[in-house]
Amino acid sequence: MEETQKNKTLVIRNDISELNRLVAFLEKLEEEWDLPPSVIPPVNLALEEALSNVIFYAFEKDTEHEIRLNFERRGTAMVVVVTDDGKPYDPTQKEDPNLHLSVEERPIGGLGIFLIRQVMNEVAYNRVGNKNQLTMVKTWNT
Amino acid sequence: MKITTETNGPDAFVQVEGRIDTTNYNEFENAVNDVLNGSVKQMYLDCSGLNYISSSGLRIFLALQKKMMTTGGKLKLFAMQPSIREIFDISGFSSIFAIFPDKATALQA
Repeated sequence: MEETQKNKTLVIRNDISELNRLVAFLEKLEEEWDLPPSVIPPVNLALEEALSNVIFYAFEKDTEHEIRLNFERRGTAMVVVVTDDGKPYDPTQKEDPNLHLSVEERPIGGLGIFLIRQVMNEVAYNRVGNKNQLTMVKTWNT
Repeated sequence: MKITTETNGPDAFVQVEGRIDTTNYNEFENAVNDVLNGSVKQMYLDCSGLNYISSSGLRIFLALQKKMMTTGGKLKLFAMQPSIREIFDISGFSSIFAIFPDKATALQA
């Protein structure tokens, strides 16, 4: 069985409406790379959560920034790297929410990063120079 | 995202189709809040067409549940797609929401 290796980059602006462009890009990627149906939905969710955090919290108000998304298929793994030049922020350090609280006790926020860790197989953060780099991997069986 | 609402006395029916994400969760929030007038006691949420939800959407569900509970009302979700049910399971939401397989069982409960 041959090792399929593919690579694609998407650059978006730090604007939440860019998430719509991401969705379209991922739909196309699923088709082009002939990915099984279990891959893109969790990748979409993880990216939305990661990017929402970057777009809302990483930058000074009213500044324009680029966020680079790199996608690589290595056989039965999809490696996604999100790079931004915002404030240093390691999302992997965030504490998990308490899932056993009652409705009244559950706080409204705090789920985003937890979901990334749940739906992706690997999540790693690096600070590279003045950039945040978040690497997420989704694997599947074939 | 497409939202249809219908109120019948104390019962409100909401059907949401498509995605609820960070770009459009406000629409969903406004639609369910508009339906909640003083006399609605039960809200039935048809999730059969809901095919994507992120934490922004989950937050609205939670806020809605909290609101219904403080007013003594009941929120019932039904016909959830498996992938959405999985997200609810992962976030611990399945234990704090009343989730039914279909409209009939939701109405009977």
